[in-house]
Formats: sequence, structure tokens, C-alpha cells
Amino acid sequence: MIEVNNLHKSFVSKKNTVRALDGLSFTAKDGEITGILGPNGAGKTTCLRTLYGLLRADQGEARIDGIKVTQEPIKARKRLGIFPDKFGLYERLTAYEQIDYFASIHGMKGIEKQTAIEQILTDLDMHALAHRKTVGFSQGQRMKVTLAQALVHQPKNFVLDEPTRGLDVMSTRILRAHLAKFKAKGHCILFSSHVMQEVAALCDRVIIVANGKMAAQGTPQELCELAGETHLEEAFVKLIGSDEGVAA
Amino acid sequence: MMQLKALMVKEFKEAFRDKRALMVAMSMALLMPVMIMVMLKVAIKEAVDNPPVYVKYSGAQYAPKLIAALENKNILSFAQVPADEKRNWNERNIELTIPEHFAEDMAAGKPIELILRADFNEKSLSTPIRRIKTLINEYSLSIGYKRLLVRGIDIKLLQPIKLLEQDTALPSSNAMMISLILGVYLMMAAFMSGLPVAIDSSAGERERNVLEMLLCQPVSTLKIVLAKLSCASAIAIISIILMLVLTSLAMNFVDLTKIGATFSIDASTFAILLLLLVPICLLAAALQLLFAFQAKSFKEAQSTVTMLIMVPSFIPFALMMMDDKPAWVNWLPISGQSLLMEDVFKGLAVDWSALFFTSAATIALTVLLVWVLAKRLTSEKVVMSLS
Repeated sequence: MIEVNNLHKSFVSKKNTVRALDGLSFTAKDGEITGILGPNGAGKTTCLRTLYGLLRADQGEARIDGIKVTQEPIKARKRLGIFPDKFGLYERLTAYEQIDYFASIHGMKGIEKQTAIEQILTDLDMHALAHRKTVGFSQGQRMKVTLAQALVHQPKNFVLDEPTRGLDVMSTRILRAHLAKFKAKGHCILFSSHVMQEVAALCDRVIIVANGKMAAQGTPQELCELAGETHLEEAFVKLIGSDEGVAA
Repeated sequence: MMQLKALMVKEFKEAFRDKRALMVAMSMALLMPVMIMVMLKVAIKEAVDNPPVYVKYSGAQYAPKLIAALENKNILSFAQVPADEKRNWNERNIELTIPEHFAEDMAAGKPIELILRADFNEKSLSTPIRRIKTLINEYSLSIGYKRLLVRGIDIKLLQPIKLLEQDTALPSSNAMMISLILGVYLMMAAFMSGLPVAIDSSAGERERNVLEMLLCQPVSTLKIVLAKLSCASAIAIISIILMLVLTSLAMNFVDLTKIGATFSIDASTFAILLLLLVPICLLAAALQLLFAFQAKSFKEAQSTVTMLIMVPSFIPFALMMMDDKPAWVNWLPISGQSLLMEDVFKGLAVDWSALFFTSAATIALTVLLVWVLAKRLTSEKVVMSLS
């Protein structure tokens, strides 16, 4: 379970102050896929970075399974699988070595680690890539490696920052199936995206973020009803109060 | 512990697969023995040979005996210079003017003024000029002594005091120079060999967007820093070992006894040098990581970190300039090692307490830097510059 409570965060520089988060609160429950929707600059990435413990909120707190991220960042991160906004690969390592590396960081070892890696390779259909160095991988292949390294330790909570960009249809479907499987097992999935169909198809609950605050929340259906629109996209535009940023 | 092991394994894998960075790291080690060997060969040649010196005489005909004495010592007239060296000696332009009334004044016992004209600051001329001066002085003295002897005076009366010089500096000045350069070079290798690896694993990883991912993982920043530090310093240590081994091999090809030097890298020297340099490798890696993590890009890191080269190259020279060294210089990082290395190359006994203190100071500084760096990696500032 991921809880975010009244988060405030401002970035102060000499010239100006940017208020990225302004009292954002939401809860992503176990056994559900929660989507965060928001225009660019709404504070999605800042919120997620606070969740990882990379940034410290000015006010408010984030908890993962009840553990305060600011107090016990390492314990909290152990329960987290992260698919970051910007991701890179260790280009001199093979895909297998890289997944192995992250599994070891999460404290897995021996047979347990090997089976976990084999499992994730099978799940994501990556055996053909596994022993190639990751330099020169296509966007979709990079995506898969990053997913695999985030999922290998079977995290209870799983945070994805725009995971489907650059994935082909097959991989997107695999990802979706995977997320559904995780959900069925009772994991908590938090998911940020720009793609409305994606969110509408996958998410049990959607949180719309604008200007560092929550603008609305509910099931996709509820949001449509709330805005009096039939499509989530129209509802989204109406709910954030402008059509700015939607094109991105 | 397992996390640390995984982090280290990954760092080493990456470092050893980066052939370009590895080449840079090892190139210093490979070049050094060659350089030392060439320098030694030149030094030995200069010290042992008595190469011909060509002087432009004017008025040579007035003092044939003096000219003959000069010729005996391989100091020849410019007219005799071989064609291929003519341009060189013309540029060096050593002139010796003998006055017209040389013979008359000699017979009359009057002082005679010879004029030696040359660029006395030019280093390549210092040996020829010294030889000419010595010879003319000797020649002049021998005539003077003969004059006194003829008058029945014991020439010992002219030397009431005789100064006997006992030089405690074991090697000759050339060998000293070489050992100084060897010291500076070893220091630089310890300092710079790990550089490409340190930059790649810090600023490079930031640029490739993998640092953020790592910082989100359940692993303390201290472990991350330690893994990167051990990798960069290990590369530097390997480079130094390679350098020492190759240098001691190269030393077998030059005959140092000709210039009175007894310099060699035997097992104990090897061990002491390594003991001195390993803490430096650690300190250097910590400094490099600290600077590279501040930089926003690989390029920026490269330019700022390269400035660190000032530290190992400047300190030994600054020490050379200091006449009265305060005691604490012996115990500080880098200066302490630098002084101890000088002793080792001079063949003096090692001051173990100084070695202990300087190593302890270096390691303490390294620990401090690692701690600062681990703290910095948890700060928002570092994260903010990620994107």
C-alpha cells in the first residue's frame, strides 16, 4: 500500500520558486492498479521521487506499507519496485548481468535468485536478449530490461513512470498481462501515464493531478460521470480545468 | 555485505570491459619504464663520455701550446667540426679570444687576459664551458707553479689549507634527478591512473541515467561510494604494480655503475614503495569521485577532475623549494610520501614512524572524503542535477 499525505514541495532557486507539490494526498491500495494522470509539470515525477526517498517533502509524508520513507528509506525501498522516468542501462553488462545485479542489491542470492531471474526472463519473453550486452538495444528492449530489473525481486509495491512509451504492441500487452497478474496476487501498482486508453483499460482507480494538487479521483467510469463526458480524455481536460499540456 | 559484493563485482566488470579507459590507465605504466631508460642512457652518455667540444678561436696562432693542451682534452677548433654537426656548434657559438701579445706577456710574466664568450645560461653548454674553464685554469696554474719552482719556492706553500670533500649523497646528481622524476611519476600514476574509471562510474553513470535508478534502490550510499572507490583505486594500484615491475626490468638494461649510482628496485624497495603508494591511490580515487559527482556531465567532470593533477605534481616541487621543512610536512598526505620516496631512492633507511603517520593521515583523509561523499549522495542537490 502506498500512501501520500499532504505533500508540499517547492524548488527554490535564486531567480524563482517553483511550487511542484501543493498538498497532494492519495492512497494506492493493494490489489489495485492506481493510475496517476496529469499534464506535464503537474508534479507527477516529483511526487514519485519523494516516494522513492530521493527528495524530501517540505511538508507531509509518504508511506510505503506503513513505513515512512523519510525515516527508513532503505526499508521502504525494499518493498518497492521502480520503473523510473528516465532510465538507462549499464551498457557494458549483459541484460542477464544487469538483472542479476539488481536482484543482488535486493538481497537475493543462490538458487532463489537464479529461479527469480529465469522466471522474469520467461515472463517477459527475454531469453533471446539475456546474454547480449545492452549497448545498441532498441527502446522496447531497454524497456524490458528495466522492467525485468524492477520486477525481479517480486516487489509488494510497484511504481511505474510512463512504462509504455516506446513499447510495441506485443510488449505492451505482455506488460498489461503482467500487471494484471501482479494485481491478482494482491500487489499494489502505481502507474503514471499520458495514454488515456492505457489508463482506461488498466486502472481500477485514477488520480488526476494538476498544479501539484489532486484535481479528482475515482474509477475511469466515475471520472467520466463526474465531468459529464463519455471519454476519459474529455473528462480529463475538463477536470484539470484547461486543455493545456494534453497534447504532450 | 552481499550488496557491497554485488556492487563491487558490477563496478569491476564495467571497468574491465571499458577497454579505452583501461588503456589510458595503463599507458602511464607502460610509458614510464621506457622514459626512465632513455633518460638514463642519455645521462650515462653525458657523464662518461668526453665528447669533442668545438671552439671558435681567434688568435690561436699566438698560443700554440695552450691550443695543443686543449686539443689533448678533446676541445677542438671550430675549423675541425664535422659537416653534420656544424650547424649545432655554430649556434652554440663558444668563442675564445687570445690576445696578440700572448707570447710576449707570458715571457714578461705579465697577466694575460683570455676572453671566453658563450651563453652561460644555456644548459647544453654548461659541461663544455666547465671543461674549458677547468683546463685553462689547470694550464695557468701549472705555469705558475713552474715559475715558483724555478725560483726555489715549494708550491705546497700556496696551499695552506686543503679541503677534502666527502659527499654523503650516494648517487650522482644525474641519478638524483632520475629518482626525483621517478618519484613524481609514480605519484602521478597513483593519482591519475584511476581517473577514467572514477569519472565513468560517477559522472558517466549520471549521464547515462543509471545513477538515479541506483539511488532509488535499498542500498546505502556509503556502500555505493565504497564500491566505486575500491574499483578506481584497484585500477590505480594495478597500474603502479605494473609500472614498478616494468621499471625494475628496464633497469637491467642500463649500466648504472658507470655514473656511480646504485639504484635498483629490489623486493624490499618494491614493498615499501607499494606501501607508500596504496594510500595515495585510495585518496586519489576519493578525491576524483568527490569532484566527478559534483559535475553535471562527463565532459565537465573530465575538465574539473583533471585539475587534480596539480596536487601530485605541485607538492613534490614545492617541497624541493622549501629549505627548512617543518616537521609536519613529513606527516601530511602526499608530501610525507613524497619525502619518504626520496629517501628510498637515495638508499637511506626508511623512517617507519613517518611512514606510519603519513599513511594514517592519508587514510583518515580518505575516510573523511568517503563519508562526505556518501552524505552528499543523499542530498537533494545531487538528485536535482540528475535531470
